[in-house]
Amino acid sequence: MASNPKSLGNRVGSLQCDNTTLHLLKANDFVANAIRERLKNVCVINVCSSPGSGKTTLMQETGKRLGKDLKISVLVGDPETDRDAVRMKEVGLNALQIVTGGMCHIEAQMILQALDHIDLEDTDLLFIENVGNLLCPSAFDLGEDYRVTLLATTEGDDKPKKYPRMFLTSELMLVSKADLLPYVPFTVENVTKDAREVNPNIEVLTISTTNGEGIDQWCEWLKERVKAKKANEAE
Amino acid sequence: MHELSIVKDIFSTLEEHYEAKVEDIQKIQVTAGLLSNVQPVLIQNAFDAFIADNLIYRDMELEVVVNDIIAHCHSCDKDFKVEYHRFVCECGTPSTDIVQGNELYISKVIFKQSL
Repeated sequence: MASNPKSLGNRVGSLQCDNTTLHLLKANDFVANAIRERLKNVCVINVCSSPGSGKTTLMQETGKRLGKDLKISVLVGDPETDRDAVRMKEVGLNALQIVTGGMCHIEAQMILQALDHIDLEDTDLLFIENVGNLLCPSAFDLGEDYRVTLLATTEGDDKPKKYPRMFLTSELMLVSKADLLPYVPFTVENVTKDAREVNPNIEVLTISTTNGEGIDQWCEWLKERVKAKKANEAE
Repeated sequence: MHELSIVKDIFSTLEEHYEAKVEDIQKIQVTAGLLSNVQPVLIQNAFDAFIADNLIYRDMELEVVVNDIIAHCHSCDKDFKVEYHRFVCECGTPSTDIVQGNELYISKVIFKQSL
């Protein structure tokens, strides 16, 4: 067999090896950039957290406070149900449910398809409420301008180090359910220290939708971002 | 996390890049940074499940190489290894300028020996 002319260049027993760099999950980044191109006039916020940390409640509260000043739409991801979109529509938000069919995260393709069903001309601020999960959503760019991660005081202040990529890729960490601070072993100081060791640039805001703490600052933060995005596009 | 989507993406990437030659692949090596949230054991299991259902890939092998997280310190102008998720240089300067650790790619493809 060694004399077979076809294998002359290839010593028998040798393996043909191709050192390469074929990036995986690149399709998502491609779609995310397409979304960014399309939403030049809309401020897009990707809201992430574990299940039950208060994303939907915060969206409802934000809608109530800013609904008069800003046109807000919400794309909300859920593995199985449309309960969250129903809750948001109750407070007058323009909400669209993305049922991921059991998937643990939202991918850019799902957002791109959903965009056809919202009036982008009539939207200043688009929230993407991600699936409750601190792991997988961190790896998927959805074409957002800012990533905001909620961490409830009931979850424990050790989470930023446990889920570093989520906090590394977030611009703002909202410490939610602050009204429960007196009852739980959680300090804002510890969580801020850990979060800043992972991401020194992360902003931290303590909020409670129950007693209203920090909600004004959160609304201001949003208004500034929407204004900046529009100013940037007008240039 | 979503290891099966990654495995499916491995095969669609290989098919796109190598076309028909994909059937001659004996082994592939995937390099995953620690920040890519890829667990070598889980991806190996997802890979084994996938090839069991796909006859032409049944003999293919997978090796996963995990990369440390390396960040760049602008104060010292040098790279440092991030350990225990502390993105702070030994000089005390924090940095999120990730040089290595986010990546996820097919780094090596070995073909069956041609006769």
